[in-house]
Amino acid sequence: MKHVFFLDGQETPFIPGQNVLEAAIAAGQDRQIPYFCFHPALGSLGACRQCAVKMYPHDSKHPPRITMACLLPASDDLQLVTLEADVHTEHREIIELLMTNHPLDCPVCDEGGQCHLQDMTVQTGHSVRHYSGPKRTYRNQDLGPLVYQEMNRCITCYRCVRFYQDAALGEDFGVFGSRNRVSFGRLEDGPLESPFSGNLVEVCPTGVFTDKVFRHDYVRVWDLQQGPSVCPHCAVGCNTTPGARLGTLRRIRNRQNPEINGHFLCDRGRYAFPYVTAHSRPLQPRLKGETSRQEAVLRQLASRLEEGRSGFLGSPREDLQSNLGLFALADCLHAPFAAVTSSWAEALAQQCLALPQAPSLQEVAAADRIVVIGDLDSIAPMAGFAVRQALGRGARLTVLASSRTGLARKGDYRPLRPSALPDVVSRLADDPCLQGGRLPVLLATAETLGPAGLFALRKTLEKLPANARAGAFVNRPNLFGAAYFAADGHTERLQQALRQREIHHLLCLGADPLGEDWGAGTWRTLSPGLDGLALLDMVDSQTARAAEALLPVAAFPERAGLFVNYEGRIQAFAPVYRREAQVLHSAVHGSAFPEAAGGMKHPLGPPPPLFWLGRLAELLQVHEAWQQRLDFYLHFLCPTAPDPESPGVLLPDTLRARFAIAALPTTPTVESGQWELDIFRWYGGETLADTAEDLQSLAPLRGLRVHPDVQAEWATLQGPCGQLHLPVIPCEDMVQGVIAIDQEGFAELGLYPGDPVEVTWEQGS
Amino acid sequence: MVAESPVPEAAISEILQALQKARGYIDDEALQLAATMTGLSPVKVEELCTFYSLLLREPVGIHVMRVCDSIACHMAGAQDILAQARQHCGVEFGEVSRSGKLTVIPHVCIGMCDRAPALMVDDEALGPMDKQALTRLLAQLEADVWKPS
Repeated sequence: MKHVFFLDGQETPFIPGQNVLEAAIAAGQDRQIPYFCFHPALGSLGACRQCAVKMYPHDSKHPPRITMACLLPASDDLQLVTLEADVHTEHREIIELLMTNHPLDCPVCDEGGQCHLQDMTVQTGHSVRHYSGPKRTYRNQDLGPLVYQEMNRCITCYRCVRFYQDAALGEDFGVFGSRNRVSFGRLEDGPLESPFSGNLVEVCPTGVFTDKVFRHDYVRVWDLQQGPSVCPHCAVGCNTTPGARLGTLRRIRNRQNPEINGHFLCDRGRYAFPYVTAHSRPLQPRLKGETSRQEAVLRQLASRLEEGRSGFLGSPREDLQSNLGLFALADCLHAPFAAVTSSWAEALAQQCLALPQAPSLQEVAAADRIVVIGDLDSIAPMAGFAVRQALGRGARLTVLASSRTGLARKGDYRPLRPSALPDVVSRLADDPCLQGGRLPVLLATAETLGPAGLFALRKTLEKLPANARAGAFVNRPNLFGAAYFAADGHTERLQQALRQREIHHLLCLGADPLGEDWGAGTWRTLSPGLDGLALLDMVDSQTARAAEALLPVAAFPERAGLFVNYEGRIQAFAPVYRREAQVLHSAVHGSAFPEAAGGMKHPLGPPPPLFWLGRLAELLQVHEAWQQRLDFYLHFLCPTAPDPESPGVLLPDTLRARFAIAALPTTPTVESGQWELDIFRWYGGETLADTAEDLQSLAPLRGLRVHPDVQAEWATLQGPCGQLHLPVIPCEDMVQGVIAIDQEGFAELGLYPGDPVEVTWEQGS
Repeated sequence: MVAESPVPEAAISEILQALQKARGYIDDEALQLAATMTGLSPVKVEELCTFYSLLLREPVGIHVMRVCDSIACHMAGAQDILAQARQHCGVEFGEVSRSGKLTVIPHVCIGMCDRAPALMVDDEALGPMDKQALTRLLAQLEADVWKPS
């Protein structure tokens, strides 16, 4: 049955449970009702008194009355009016009250042009301020490198504190004072601690909280080129709207996708974008470290590939088509291909793909029994945000981890060594923490849980009720897409071919096998056998510096592509802007062309990887076969490519079924008394994010985290591929016997989370 | 106090009052202590301290004089009382007088509209006040001879 009420005589449909304002906004009638404190994700408060409507009762006994639309439950045949003079007067006078202390500094305010207060003021027709007394002023706080505060602009709608405390469960931001002296901020100056602090910029309806990173290279929003994109910084695949101007990316905002990120975005997603504009980003093709013409690099690379002794290495950091393009080229040349850099990561991908359909974040937020394994906030912060929303609705949370993580403080924390996780996870089906729930959900950080743990998770899920769901997260955007065609020992085969000198050249796409990718230690030991390494990438990694040939590629907002997220959801992103990159020589004449004539700019900047791969296929005279294979693989995985504006399509279960036979991976045994490794990450740590200076200024110190009962200042760890000398950081929250290091450390040692490690403790440096 | 509360957070007002009584005002150390005892975040405790005007976050004199400046008292001359008290102290409202004996704070509202203009010295409300009565009161406070009735 269709439910409707009448707003100014127009039929407005609603879903039972909605309030009048919500329904009016959904029906596109929000121009009739101005509002401030209501936010679709934060609900109604009735504090600002702005959303007045006049309600006509059905009987003649009661007179019509003015009420707040956000507090009025929508009901059938409700008669509401906003076009009458008294409602309009109410709207205008309320906004005049709210504007009493507002500094009216729109010309110098970053929010100008995207300001809800500005829109509502114009909409309601308030133009003359009757109050002529002094305005209330505040001292602004320094809230760190990401968010800028200008308290004088505040209209006390409380959206910020409702987001920060109630939705994001943050504890270092609040509302102080009362009456005319209400202010919002921290106890003292300092960076906001929440991984979701950037959302203050979007929830604030005026310019109190503005984007501090955007300020560095500011442009008025009406001058921004914007378009639909997908966040490339973790497996969640939040929808974003990048904004660019004059060929450079300026900011990232949230793009609403109710099934994934809703109205919000984490700080990594919002502030990690400067990899696109970083000085270190490779923009010119390079040959042996020297900038070179693209044709020269391509011909050199093609002649290498013609020798028939090349291996191909894809990456879960790159999008689906690029990985498939590389796979298709390897296929055409009958060369070995791997999608990930180590057998361990391959087993991990295989076990992730073998899990049944993972819950969307919307479903996680609706769960009532949640088990989180590992530090979810530092891998996929928005998944952690969905858990917080579920907690707000009364869910019971249990966290299994080797340290008291941010989420562990909000629920029951069970301290565990990583090697004990597979065992504990396999017994979770009978555990009281999941009993009695309507919708149990298990969320794991794949790396902490490891392949064996993910196998145990799949088996546990089979014992749980049919509606129980599980999801595993990594901080790469396209693990599913990259690993789909290469999950059967391909990495081992590639490394074996290199070891046995069957190949002596490697073509990598967005991978960093000599830097910090999993298994980098092994690649480093194998690298003397490499005569040359070619790389297609957009960041200046260690592999890029060591590469014989480097072909720069377009960043994600500069090209179209597909990512497959942790649920197997295929999402498309579109090019948002065209980068202008300087070229040294004219491609046509082979000589410098005067800059004044505009000839020094390559109109498109670095091309997408598919362009390079297509050119290589042409030079190798396999273009037709390459294109056919690429089209076939793409059609196989994704018969109808989704539109960038759509919520994406899920990989069908039939395609994932072949992974269900994935066997139990072997796990290292940790003897009692041995030290074992766990991974330490923070929410801003990720390969692309590492060049974002503002975000990285918040990074925790690099070191070895261990329980404070260890009396040492330095430690040396010994692994099969090398050793690591790090300062010891005592950490109260760590489980005894566990050492947490970052991924770079694992890469240097050649070890994985849950592995035993030899350690020598030292005093002094 | 925490043990007597249904949940630890519920004891916060009493704890803050007790801490203020012992220390004169809620300093940062007291704030952290109250947070630890109740399990609330320091920000939440600060929110309460700044919301309730009877809780003080700045050092005050031996006596605190809260002069009501709500509408009823304003109409009855609260501004004159406030001006006289400020002049006596020689410092701004909220600051400790030069003698260290007194802090004057404008306050809304002590609920004594029937005896406007009213004020409150420490825990005792007095009114109606006039120039002479205030002069006497200030002299008593300076001489340490004022006693609550």
